[in-house]
Amino acid sequence: MTGLIIFGASVLSLAGIYAILAMILNLEAGWGGLWDLGTAGLLAAGAYCYVILTVHSDEIAFAPQLPIWMGIIGASLFTGLLAFLIGLPSLKMRGEYFLITTFAFSVVVLELITTESNITMGATGIHDIVRPWDSLVSTRNYNLVLLAIISTTCLAVWVIVRMIGWSPFGRLLRAARDNEPAALSTGKNVARARLQTFVIAGLLIGAVAPLYVWYIRSLSPHLFHATLTFTVWTALVIGGIGSLRGPILGAFLLIVLTEATQFLQVSADYARILSASRPILVGLALILIMRFRPEGLLPESRSFVNARTRIDRKT
Amino acid sequence: MQFIYFGLITGSVLAVAAAGFAMVRQLEGFLNIAHGQYLLLGGLFTAGFYKLGLNIFVAGFLASVAVGLVGVAIAWMVFFPLRYKGLLSQFFSSIGVAFVVYGLVLATWSGSGIKVIPADFGRPFDLGSISVTFGELMIIGVSWLTVLMLHFFLTKTTMGVWIRAVASNRELARVRSVPSDIVMSVVWFAASAMAGLAGVLVGLLGSVHSELGWQYILTILAVSVMGGVNNLYGVMAAGLILGLVVDLSSVFISSQYGTIVTFGAIILTLIIRPQGLFSMQKRNEAGQ
Repeated sequence: MTGLIIFGASVLSLAGIYAILAMILNLEAGWGGLWDLGTAGLLAAGAYCYVILTVHSDEIAFAPQLPIWMGIIGASLFTGLLAFLIGLPSLKMRGEYFLITTFAFSVVVLELITTESNITMGATGIHDIVRPWDSLVSTRNYNLVLLAIISTTCLAVWVIVRMIGWSPFGRLLRAARDNEPAALSTGKNVARARLQTFVIAGLLIGAVAPLYVWYIRSLSPHLFHATLTFTVWTALVIGGIGSLRGPILGAFLLIVLTEATQFLQVSADYARILSASRPILVGLALILIMRFRPEGLLPESRSFVNARTRIDRKT
Repeated sequence: MQFIYFGLITGSVLAVAAAGFAMVRQLEGFLNIAHGQYLLLGGLFTAGFYKLGLNIFVAGFLASVAVGLVGVAIAWMVFFPLRYKGLLSQFFSSIGVAFVVYGLVLATWSGSGIKVIPADFGRPFDLGSISVTFGELMIIGVSWLTVLMLHFFLTKTTMGVWIRAVASNRELARVRSVPSDIVMSVVWFAASAMAGLAGVLVGLLGSVHSELGWQYILTILAVSVMGGVNNLYGVMAAGLILGLVVDLSSVFISSQYGTIVTFGAIILTLIIRPQGLFSMQKRNEAGQ
């Protein structure tokens, strides 16, 4: 029975991480209209930054062994700065050109991590991760601690994203997405708002990257392949691009469905097929949702249905 | 010289792979992420046919045709019904198709992670100052033959004229009674078969592994952006140039930086010349 609880906690933790990433992506892609395929690259940058700042290891050329909270802040700032540097040239482009540019930057970040092995250990990876309150509970029960941390973060990110979504800034983003000339004609600086959004997303991704590291408990470049970005996008698309609760629902549905396949005990022959069923499930979900409900399970139109009445009430 | 030769091989294969991708982009308007997985299917089918005892040329040809048919079937099932639902849903559906194909390959994958097509084309011999093998020359030959055939198909046959008509103005083409469903099926067949062929060539050059599709779709994206997405010949030329750049760069810097060079090149292209290297008209949608 405890095994079941531990397993459930681990699945929910992963779903929570994906929900956080999907909410951040929703901020950029859903409201900002920025089709970003660079999530995996930024997450990798944040994760490596955190681990390098905090790890106790002699094999890494630069390891300041900072406390955890400084590692998190450092990772957040570093990823935010990286997002700024990536956003500056890429945000000049629209639609699928933006998508390809962010994708390309993501690949470059990952390749740099693989090749610069004197500070990142390259393809070998880093295997001793500093986790908060690690010594207090047994490794077995640590999943529960992690679930608590991730749920809290998930809630915090939801509050932040919701605040941005309801704020005038969020309205500006959606206005610029739907009709850029109209937004410009009201004297708004759309380009700056988009860059701000991109950097905010970078800061947030950097801040939550340690969660992913704590969950995986080791670090190597292959964790951050393009499939990660596509999975986050799938979660967002299933839940509903632009809606507030959509990304959370999408991430939990997707991860619980795909991870539940681990639960079945089968022989080695079927295990291969079972592990292959995960991408098949993700793909089928995407195809079916796009075919029959392209706006997602929770469409955006319902999220801000009261936006007008709220403004009216204030004035 | 040897590096130029290697670059020529890589570039020729890339040109074949990217040509199909560019055709779909031009006719359907979306970036088909599943294109990379069709390469993987091509390599796998060839390995399968070869194991049945077929000649490597026959196996490669059959595999390309099979991938072409798979491509048409998927297009009818997934992409055609979505045509009026917007590019975003087609784009995400293609990611979905990529996942499904990838998963199916993993599920039926037998044995170890890597498959080599064990074709033997004899020992390398010297041609001037460079060392070549018959197999490598054949890869270059087949690539260029394919590209030439595509060119003549598009310019000299009725079907080719129809395809170009639909590409430039779908509504007008339909008014002029061009059978657009047949045209689209032919395009999907040609594009997927070329992806399959590129997969065969990749398999002959090195090996086929399960991540091949994800790996190559990145390079194909890079190539098609460099060439100017709407320009078929530009894309093929960009494939060749990128192959040369990557292999020549390994003369000056360590070859492990090859991928960074590739993507550095596309980022630079996008920033400096967002309309692509060979585009005649400015791409309005790229920047505002």
